[in-house]
Amino acid sequence: MNVNEYLSKGKNEVKEIIKEAREINKKYNYFNYIDEDATGGKGKLSNLPVSVKDCICVKDMESRAGSLILKGYKPVFDATVISRLRKEGVAIIGKTSQDEFGFGSFSTNTDNIPKNPIDVERSTGGSSGGSGGFTAITKYTHVSIAESTGGSIACPAGFCGVAGFTPTYGVVSRYGLIDYANSLDKIGVMAKKVNEIKPVFDIIRGYDEKDSTSLKLDLNKDEKIKKIGVIKETLNVDEKIKDAVLSKLKDYEEVSLPLVEKYGVTAYYIIALSEASTNLAKYSGLRYGESLDLKGNYNEYFSDVRSKFFSTESKRRIILGTFARMAGYRDAYYLKAMKVRNLIIQEYKKAFKKYDVLISPTMPIIAPKFSEISKLTPLENYMMDIMTVGPNLAGLPHLSVNAGFIGKMPVGLMVIGNHLDDNKVLKFGEKIE
Amino acid sequence: MKIGLEIHVELNSKSKIFCSCATQGSNVPNTRTCEICLGMPGSKPSFNREVLHKALKVALALGCKINKESFFSRKNYFYPDMTKNFQITQYELPLAENGKFEGINIRRIHMEEDPGALIHFGSITLIDYNRSGMPLIEIVTEPDFKTPKEARTFLNKLITLLEYLNVYVREEETTLKADANISLEGGERVEIKNVTGLREIERCLEYEAKRQEIELATFKETRGWDAEKGVTYSLRKKESENDYGYLTECDLPMLELSDTLLNEIKKEIPELPNQKIKNFIDKYKLNKDDAEVIASDLKLAELFEQISHKIDAKIAANYLRRDLLGQLEYNKLQVKDLKIGEHGVKDIGVMLNLYQKNKINNNILKTLTIRLIKEGKIGEIKEQVSDDSQLKKWCKEAIENNKSVVEDYKKGNENSLNFLVGYVMKLSNKSANPQKVREILKEMI
Ligand SMILES: [Zn+2]
Repeated sequence: MNVNEYLSKGKNEVKEIIKEAREINKKYNYFNYIDEDATGGKGKLSNLPVSVKDCICVKDMESRAGSLILKGYKPVFDATVISRLRKEGVAIIGKTSQDEFGFGSFSTNTDNIPKNPIDVERSTGGSSGGSGGFTAITKYTHVSIAESTGGSIACPAGFCGVAGFTPTYGVVSRYGLIDYANSLDKIGVMAKKVNEIKPVFDIIRGYDEKDSTSLKLDLNKDEKIKKIGVIKETLNVDEKIKDAVLSKLKDYEEVSLPLVEKYGVTAYYIIALSEASTNLAKYSGLRYGESLDLKGNYNEYFSDVRSKFFSTESKRRIILGTFARMAGYRDAYYLKAMKVRNLIIQEYKKAFKKYDVLISPTMPIIAPKFSEISKLTPLENYMMDIMTVGPNLAGLPHLSVNAGFIGKMPVGLMVIGNHLDDNKVLKFGEKIE
Repeated sequence: MKIGLEIHVELNSKSKIFCSCATQGSNVPNTRTCEICLGMPGSKPSFNREVLHKALKVALALGCKINKESFFSRKNYFYPDMTKNFQITQYELPLAENGKFEGINIRRIHMEEDPGALIHFGSITLIDYNRSGMPLIEIVTEPDFKTPKEARTFLNKLITLLEYLNVYVREEETTLKADANISLEGGERVEIKNVTGLREIERCLEYEAKRQEIELATFKETRGWDAEKGVTYSLRKKESENDYGYLTECDLPMLELSDTLLNEIKKEIPELPNQKIKNFIDKYKLNKDDAEVIASDLKLAELFEQISHKIDAKIAANYLRRDLLGQLEYNKLQVKDLKIGEHGVKDIGVMLNLYQKNKINNNILKTLTIRLIKEGKIGEIKEQVSDDSQLKKWCKEAIENNKSVVEDYKKGNENSLNFLVGYVMKLSNKSANPQKVREILKEMI
């Protein structure tokens, strides 16, 4: 049942969906934690079952961002999105599995790897893999609160065939989100259908004094679509993916965004990893999460904890990120990446003078098999984000909506909107769907 | 000899720099903390505008150029007193630069958070995060001091200035911390980290100057200060600067300052110590020494100004310096402990008027001053007895009861007269006018 219908009928299927989640989880690993006692309440979202990506803090509920180092960490506070949702009566049913701290595109960099709901040999995508998979598979009404740094909502939405919306940076408060990269992280919503997103998005968005980067501005009111631009460089993919995307569009023009194509991934990873490497410094086994017997001096102790409980990918990203901001390399890497980011924002701005929305495939491939993923080099892995890093670097609202299938496997179409054109993006997504 | 200072000042804002925890209150470890100052995953800093306000006051009072745009950075290093293993501070663009105070150039002033405090018990170390997130400003001077004494004098004047600005509370000497750097001609620069208190800063610089005189520093070095032994010791040779991998703090937006705000803050800056001293000399006709002592404490200076409305300024200054400060010191109290309200000020006026007219003696003045310190006011004042018939009665009694002393006096022992005056004072319960008593005694004997 669609969220809107569920709410208007005053339904309550919280108990049923928890039971289903428990069953499904045995095979698919969508949850790191299921709250058996979850209940809803009264409000604009009465008794709506909501799953939450593991990296978003829920008071007294283990929130470990897919990492073993945070095992057992139960936040003493609710993230702003959670407190806003609770006020409107949702039931928080559990924490969904993800790549550790959001580090990945396939949700394979973690101890609890979610499997694609259509083919268990394949990935859900990542890093919000648990959210995407469960949203697709559940028989019940449900939305998931997910998070994107470089495409972590769009990617699993595309691979699992659901709708995944990432708002303009700053429209939804990040307070209570366990940081990956502060200047890039955005909390968003996943649902089976695009029109289920807005009722939830309208509750979680809006200025929050606890997040100094949250915006006081209102969303743009104009939702009219006059001109559609398809990003030329992103059509250089499998013909079947290209055809699925273009078949959904009537009138469009091709538009070239060469900078995004050429420098997007590089700039994204330098910025994201630099920020991530400082964010991860706090995990030292002293105040929360995993710890070891006290031994040696402080340096030896925290090194042991970090060696033992961080995954290889986290270590790789910490090392790369630390390198990029060291005194001799800052100018060459981090500061240059920031300049490139500005140029990319300018490139989008120029395109949005002419077009209302920009379109591309969500991912360059369909959901890959785990056996294929394990053969990818780290660089090939990072290149999977080539479609999604652009709007994420520029902080633009974007939505992945299903555009059809190749065999059984879904193909995602991504709608990118101008700054604060979130409603326009959602409206257009509904039309396509 | 060239000496420079990096001075850490804890601002007296109500709450911490990035969260709403109180800066004052319970000293039970880890009670004034929250998810933000504990650096819990998911928490984010919010910048406290009161800290900005106070930091700007300092920057303007020190004649700095204010950067209309500045931002916070993460200074990254692992240490157990740091909840996030990075400190939020200002790096590339500080709040203010290029000031001057007491002839010393100020290089920069920036804002930052204090880490927690490590408390050592033998081999065990515990951490108190009450201090984590306390608001600090760092004032960095150019190496313009030529002697350790100059550095200390500067710090004293700086503290007075900070008190005038109401941005800092002088608790004990130890609340001020500094890193000091010192180099002798032809030698390299040596930095001494984390010295606490004015006296210690001067001591460690004196020690280090002597050490380098004997053995000129041939390489850059960072040293620590062992206050107990009174020596510095090597922490690390500084072949290369520490690499803190500074990164913009993306959770906090660029700090943009409007002219309106700056003008508002300029208006809040009160008359500063040097202006006050000048004023005391020019307008109140105090001597330089009195003016400096009284202006060195804002509360004292304000008390002086209030009393001077009611009594001659010189008498007021003399009273404050000799009687009030003397009594405070004797009772191990400080000016900040005084709680003198409007009534108290009025009482001081009345008291000094009587004193000036010789209607109360020094003894009474002392008693009243003690009462003033204790109660913040004086209340009823008993004038001294100058009535001849009453004084004569007491003198007569004194002479009759001390015949042998009187004989001594007659033989020329002047001290004996003092004894008799004292006897009368006792009889009068310290209320007699001692000059008159002396005259009457002489006359009667
Ligand atoms: Zn706090």
